[in-house]
Amino acid sequence: MDFGLSEQQEMLKKTARDFCKTELPKTLIKEYAKDPRGYPPQLWQAVADLGWTGLVLPEQYGGSGASFMDLAILLEEMGRACVPGPFLSTVVLGAMTVLELGSEEQKSAILPRVARGELVLTMAVAEPHAMYRSDFFELEAKHVAHHYTLSGTKLFVTDAHVADYIIVAARTKGGVTLFLVDAKSPGVTCALLPAMAGERQCQVNFDGVRLTRSDMLGGLNHGKAYLDKVMQRAAVARCSEMLGGAEQVLEMTIQYAKDRVAFGKAIGSYQAIQHHCANMLNDLDASRCMIHRAAWLVSEGLPCALEVSQAKAWMGAASRRITSLGHEVHGAIAFQHDHDMHLYTKQAVVGEASFGSSAYHAEVVARELGL
Amino acid sequence: MDFRFTPEEEAFRREVRDFLDKELPRDWPGTDPDLYHEDAFSHIHEVSAAMQKKLAAKGWLGLTWPKKYGGHEEPLWKQIILEEELTYRGAPGLDPYQFVGGMGDLLLEFGTEEQRQKYLPMMVRGEIKGATGMSEPNAGSDLANLQLKAELQGDYWVLNGQKTWQSAAHVADLAPVYVRTDPNLAKHRGISIILVEYKKTPGITMRRLEMMSGLGAFNEVFYDNAKVPKENLLGEINGGWKIVMAALSHERSYGVMLLINIKRDIDLLIQYCKETKDADGVPLAQNRMVRNRLAEVVIQQEIARNVGYKLNYLALTGGNVVSTANCVKIMGGITTQRVAQVGMQIMGLHGQLGPVGGNWRQMDPNDKWTRLGGRMKHLYLSTVCNTIAAGTTEVARNAAAGALGLPREPKPAPKK
Ligand SMILES: Cc1cc2nc3c(=O)[nH]c(=O)nc-3n(C[C@H](O)[C@H](O)[C@H](O)COP(=O)(O)OP(=O)(O)OC[C@H]3O[C@@H](n4cnc5c(N)ncnc54)[C@H](O)[C@@H]3O)c2cc1C
Repeated sequence: MDFGLSEQQEMLKKTARDFCKTELPKTLIKEYAKDPRGYPPQLWQAVADLGWTGLVLPEQYGGSGASFMDLAILLEEMGRACVPGPFLSTVVLGAMTVLELGSEEQKSAILPRVARGELVLTMAVAEPHAMYRSDFFELEAKHVAHHYTLSGTKLFVTDAHVADYIIVAARTKGGVTLFLVDAKSPGVTCALLPAMAGERQCQVNFDGVRLTRSDMLGGLNHGKAYLDKVMQRAAVARCSEMLGGAEQVLEMTIQYAKDRVAFGKAIGSYQAIQHHCANMLNDLDASRCMIHRAAWLVSEGLPCALEVSQAKAWMGAASRRITSLGHEVHGAIAFQHDHDMHLYTKQAVVGEASFGSSAYHAEVVARELGL
Repeated sequence: MDFRFTPEEEAFRREVRDFLDKELPRDWPGTDPDLYHEDAFSHIHEVSAAMQKKLAAKGWLGLTWPKKYGGHEEPLWKQIILEEELTYRGAPGLDPYQFVGGMGDLLLEFGTEEQRQKYLPMMVRGEIKGATGMSEPNAGSDLANLQLKAELQGDYWVLNGQKTWQSAAHVADLAPVYVRTDPNLAKHRGISIILVEYKKTPGITMRRLEMMSGLGAFNEVFYDNAKVPKENLLGEINGGWKIVMAALSHERSYGVMLLINIKRDIDLLIQYCKETKDADGVPLAQNRMVRNRLAEVVIQQEIARNVGYKLNYLALTGGNVVSTANCVKIMGGITTQRVAQVGMQIMGLHGQLGPVGGNWRQMDPNDKWTRLGGRMKHLYLSTVCNTIAAGTTEVARNAAAGALGLPREPKPAPKK
């Protein structure tokens, strides 16, 4: 076994940390959080110029051919800095799906532009009633004559408001099919939801959107099995962000416990506070093991349903505990909006609920155990 | 023993409920008191201001106070029932800074006759708003470390320094402000309390602090040679610590209020679970995990509420409230946070949607997906402070442990 990072991963981590520190002060992040778009286009360009949008794409598409594990390490750093923008949507939900399922034509049309930062992608899975359960999808792609028409509503679609392409999971006769939909197609409308954290979530309506067979990704009725895979990847990516966030919370909290004086002593000298910090550390260490293992399994293409769901179910609860204790140690100062703590608290709440809630993943674990 | 309310108590409770049914808007969901202010949301503020007047007309402000100050000399249990009913419904109008163990009670206990004559009738008539001026950047839990300086110059106290996290100060008329009147005495001996009329005192500036929920309802307050009439000293010079102790013990009501208020969130959540179906078409209320979680928070709330009743009983019978008050404060914080967590787990991604403040009648008409008006999102963010404000859980636990006779943590060596 090897729990360590490779030299390359260490470098990637350091570059990311340095970039976020100098280019992304938290004051800026809080400003973007109130802006409807959610991030400035120059930031997206900078992220692409660093090679991050193309990190896991093969060199032939302008990427650097890195592994999903490398991406997970990068996502940790992005989560730690609360980097705004459609990175997870574009890379994890979008580009990786196109790479795996797309025709050569689709890949060469899309992927190099993703690597250059010219395109934003996302995937629309959840629905009002079905949430992530594809058996219950209502959004349907109807086969009429030589084309398909797509009608229905998707919910909690990340970054759809800025997306150029939306991969839509639709019910088709006999199964579920993924379609690559140009977001500017007639019949596509998008509305922002009043979500808690910096990440933008949307309701997307498809009203008779006209598609053809060549817009499919992975062929007719192959969507269901692949969605499981996307959900696993997204869950791990989300956990990686939360892990980075939790790590930052612990560091901030320890620093504050050393600096803040009450009753003539640093509050960190009180055992009540020490135990809070120790509990945070336990949760963080455990999380790191779970998330790294899950990310590695995904990266290696090994069976991972059980491990990913264990990790996601755990991380949701752990990051809630870690952020709660972080607040507890900080007292009133971190209740202020100009403090950074709440960015992570919100990240944790949304993280726990998205790409399968803790309860959803606990159910997967139960199923995997044959219960 | 008897765990029932008396017929008289039940009758008064019904009277309060009938009043609220009549006077509150039909769809009033109860909101965070931080939304009542005139500068927050005008449609909510209007309800709040009107309710204050209506409560005054009912004689329910200063219910227990002496008649000569406009009060009604009613027994304390009525006040307790009134608080409980108003709090459960999230009804505005009973300003906690004045009434619920607030400065009205401090004035009665420590004020001069002139001070009582001047301020209590205004409170009873529902004419003013209050705040509490304790904390400073370096004096939170360690309140005795406060540094805001007050010097007597002629007929005035001249105040210099800073307070922070002052809830509602930007709309308040009057607050007891905790100041240092003698820097040479031991920390807790050099403290006095001055009644400050914020709006009438030159030299005071405020900076609004935005909360993590997005509401801007507390403040930094700066004093730059702010002059307050000499007669506004509450109690004795350098005798403030006694008042601090009294004020903190009055905060008994904070934990109880949290616990009563959260019952409404639980009830709404239960309603949501009955009305909402999962993908299989089964109401959430039939899901075993959901039922368990709901039952768990209901039990937790019910236990804490009963300890709250015990606290009231002790207060009414003159018993020692210290341990029980700490217990209720701790349970109030933890229980409310737990409800918000459970609510989030049950509501999933829907739970994290909503306008700032979970704001009544302010929903975007295009927003079809926010549930319970965004209440759960706001609850999660706003309950973060419930284990911190009005005394942290850790400090309350220390006090509880101290009351058990356990040795204290060693003090640091005195500074040279
Ligand atoms: C929403 C909100 C509203 C508020 N409204 C008001 C108001 O209207 N008026 C007002 O005056 N103040 C107000 N406050 C301030 C409140 O009273 C303080 O936040 C509180 O007393 C804690 O102080 P602090 O935030 O400085 O935390 P600190 O005292 O710095 O505590 C930080 C951490 O150290 C811990 N700690 C401190 N001492 C010890 C010890 N001896 N042993 C173990 N642990 C310890 C604390 O428990 C906490 O976990 C408000 C605060 C909030 C969050």
